[in-house]
Amino acid sequence: MGRRSRGTLEQEVVAALAASPAPMTPAQVRDQLGGRLAYTTVMTVLARLSEKGLVTRERVGRAYAYTAVRDEAEVTARQMQRLLDAGDDRAAVLSRFVGVLSDDDEQLLTDLLRRAEGGGT
Amino acid sequence: MTGDMAVGTLVAGALIALFALIGPGLARRLPPAVATRLLVPASLVVAGSTVWVLVAVGFIWVAQFPAVSRYGQWSAAELRADTPFPTAIPVGCGLLAVLAVTRAATRGTRRMRLLLAVRQSCRGIGEPGSLVVLDNDRPDAFATPGADGRIVVTRGLLRALSADERRALLAHEAAHLAHRHVWWLLAAELAAAANPVLAPTVRAVTHTVERWADEDAARAVTDRRLVARTLARTALLIRAAPAGRVSLTAVGGDVPERVRALLEPPPRPRVIPLAVLVVLLVATTVATGTVQRRGDQLLDQAGTATVAHHRPVR
Repeated sequence: MGRRSRGTLEQEVVAALAASPAPMTPAQVRDQLGGRLAYTTVMTVLARLSEKGLVTRERVGRAYAYTAVRDEAEVTARQMQRLLDAGDDRAAVLSRFVGVLSDDDEQLLTDLLRRAEGGGT
Repeated sequence: MTGDMAVGTLVAGALIALFALIGPGLARRLPPAVATRLLVPASLVVAGSTVWVLVAVGFIWVAQFPAVSRYGQWSAAELRADTPFPTAIPVGCGLLAVLAVTRAATRGTRRMRLLLAVRQSCRGIGEPGSLVVLDNDRPDAFATPGADGRIVVTRGLLRALSADERRALLAHEAAHLAHRHVWWLLAAELAAAANPVLAPTVRAVTHTVERWADEDAARAVTDRRLVARTLARTALLIRAAPAGRVSLTAVGGDVPERVRALLEPPPRPRVIPLAVLVVLLVATTVATGTVQRRGDQLLDQAGTATVAHHRPVR
């Protein structure tokens, strides 16, 4: 895997914490992000995110475990949801990751996914 | 000589139509970044040429208005006699020119206002370029406009993807921000607002910017299949989710085609489609220039005629 920039790494850590049902220790975060990330790199990123108030930490045994902050998301959610619901025009200025599928697309995509998974990564 | 203006107009019109017809197809044969960078300026040039030709031909009509001909010092009667077009054509062109400019201006201001409104509402959220997690189970992901936009992903989607897949998703959205893809799209839409035959070009650009971000993501994670898988899985997850109030805009491009392209080796630059597009552009510009020059000559001629007419005979 290629080298990640600082911003990219922060995003990946936030994504991992947000996806996790339970708080994660730095070691767990590192394991999940894979690659050859140094433990200290993960620690630095977590410290920075904590400073920005994007993650909180709690002591679990000897280590700290981190959680993505949710409270701010309430306001965010409403604001963003409003953007999405505002109709075609507003949604058109957002770069959606994937478009809407038709029935034919769905079948086609299922077949393609099998091909993508088949060859291994 | 005045017949040249009619020929030039026909040639320019044919070239514009030809570009609208084959441009999108040619662009799909090029690497997506090249395709976008070529197709968008090209459609602006073509839209500009359209307006230019319409104005040049339309002016033959406008120039016959007494106020205008007096100001320009040419003879309206002479002009009417010399024009290579039946009256309806300059009239139609003049009206179309006004329509094209008005449409582009309205569409442009409306879209700009939207972009600014969206950016305004994102200002307070996170920092520029950061990931914003939406506390929502419905899978979805998008980037807000501008190089300082935010990457927004729902918790539902983050949970459904593996760490590698999340990385591919983030790399894709980061590419949209880094390359300012909304602006490319906006430019293409403006061109199509001025000349509606360019609508398929906008659809092509919508697709090429998505492919551009896909290729960037593939390079970032050094795994094309991973990006293909992430795309396919996300699209199927969104499809399977209970339908909410989701807008059905066809942004995001043609997903199966994007996945298929990622399962193939990376596209290489090809000379022929590139050359064809460039030749088309140059030819359109030359034809447009000819129309304008002949139009000017027509006015000059009508002007000389008036002067000759008024000159006292010795």
